[in-house]
Amino acid sequence: MIRVRGIRKAFGKQQVLRGVDFTLPAGQVLVIIGPSGSGKTTLLRCLNLLEVPDHGTLELGNVSFAFTPGAKLRPQDVLSLRKRTGMVFQSFNLFPHMTALGNVIEAQVTVQKKRKSEAEETARLLLGKVGLADRADYYPHKLSGGQQQRVAIARAMALEPEVLLFDEPTSALDPELAGEVLKVMKQLAAEGLTMVIVTHLMKFAEEVADHVLLMDEGLIVEEGPPHEVFRNPKSSRAAQFLSVLTD
Amino acid sequence: MSDRQIQIVTDSFWPLLKAGVLYTIPLSLITFALGLLLAIVTALARMYAWAPLRWVAGFYVWIIRGTPLLVQLFIIFFGLPMVGLTLDAYPSAIIGFSLSVGAYGSEIVRAAIVSIQKGQWEAAYSLGMTRVQALRRIILPQAARVSVPPLGNSFIGLVKDTSLAAVITFAEMFRRAQQIVATTYEPLLLYCEVAVIYLLFSTVLSVLQNVSERYLERYSAS
Repeated sequence: MIRVRGIRKAFGKQQVLRGVDFTLPAGQVLVIIGPSGSGKTTLLRCLNLLEVPDHGTLELGNVSFAFTPGAKLRPQDVLSLRKRTGMVFQSFNLFPHMTALGNVIEAQVTVQKKRKSEAEETARLLLGKVGLADRADYYPHKLSGGQQQRVAIARAMALEPEVLLFDEPTSALDPELAGEVLKVMKQLAAEGLTMVIVTHLMKFAEEVADHVLLMDEGLIVEEGPPHEVFRNPKSSRAAQFLSVLTD
Repeated sequence: MSDRQIQIVTDSFWPLLKAGVLYTIPLSLITFALGLLLAIVTALARMYAWAPLRWVAGFYVWIIRGTPLLVQLFIIFFGLPMVGLTLDAYPSAIIGFSLSVGAYGSEIVRAAIVSIQKGQWEAAYSLGMTRVQALRRIILPQAARVSVPPLGNSFIGLVKDTSLAAVITFAEMFRRAQQIVATTYEPLLLYCEVAVIYLLFSTVLSVLQNVSERYLERYSAS
């Protein structure tokens, strides 16, 4: 379970997050939508501390943080949080000097100190899960964008994280390739993985989300189950945003 | 060319090549290996170390890049004995050239590390790696690839620069040529001959450089 309270974050003078709260029970899928610059990607990156919030608290399982400006976090706490989260990036960020298999093995051996053979077994299983068992020995630049992103999903799952974070995972892909990534994500959601997804794809959000957050200017302006947020938005800001999207 | 001159050129070819193979090449290889190690340590120190270490590294690069290599060699070989530190020509040359490769190489290594996309660090961090793990497993292997072409150029430059060791009495190839000139009085012939052998070495190295670059490209589209 993830619990976030009063998260604030500024880059210089610009307030990007202005007090965000949410709770995500295990096994659920949270989708964050909102216009560009609304702070949704920053919020996601705060969940594995790629960005460190200025204020607020973050709990994930039994690790918890209370943020105050300028305070140093204990490195072992940060590492322990990151081992419990997996992240999938918009631009994939696969390690180009390793094969697909090597990418999925890497953290298991370096971070978890697993035996190579054991790590390889897990990696092959995960690559099979994302439909790329036959591409295990390919280097990233020999794979299509959709395939690369699926390897990235397998890599993010390699440490058996408690939650998977997706930062606009299909924005760099054309629709056809995006489809194969979305299919994998739906399958993972159906298997009961806890996921937080930042996306612009409303139809996908509606299909896969248990809960939707709509953000604007660093705040949550609307939240609830997808059919409510999408069909009957309570706030005028949400209605406006959704109408622009459906045009 | 007279028969005598042809005779001198052919007689001196093998002694020159031998000096090259026995001294110029090993000196280049040893100093390049040591210098590269120094370059990596210096680059990392300048980027990530505790502030005083960062200054030490910056100071070292500033001194070495700001003074002539020839002067550095003189200080090491002729100057240091004045403070009781007498070194033979070979170790003096190794120290002088290694320091030089280390300083210039550190800039190449630093540029290569900086050129690796931020997303690679983030991907490593998101998997729970520490900075040291991310550097060792993700960033440095990629930076190594980026720095192969400029380091190859440095190595070719180094092979030619080792001729400077002649002035501190190290018996490498150019010094050997000078010795032969002293007995034959044919400076034009001998110096051109030794130039051709340096050219031969550089050409072989350029070819090796191209081959290695093509080999590395197999793994990256960019």
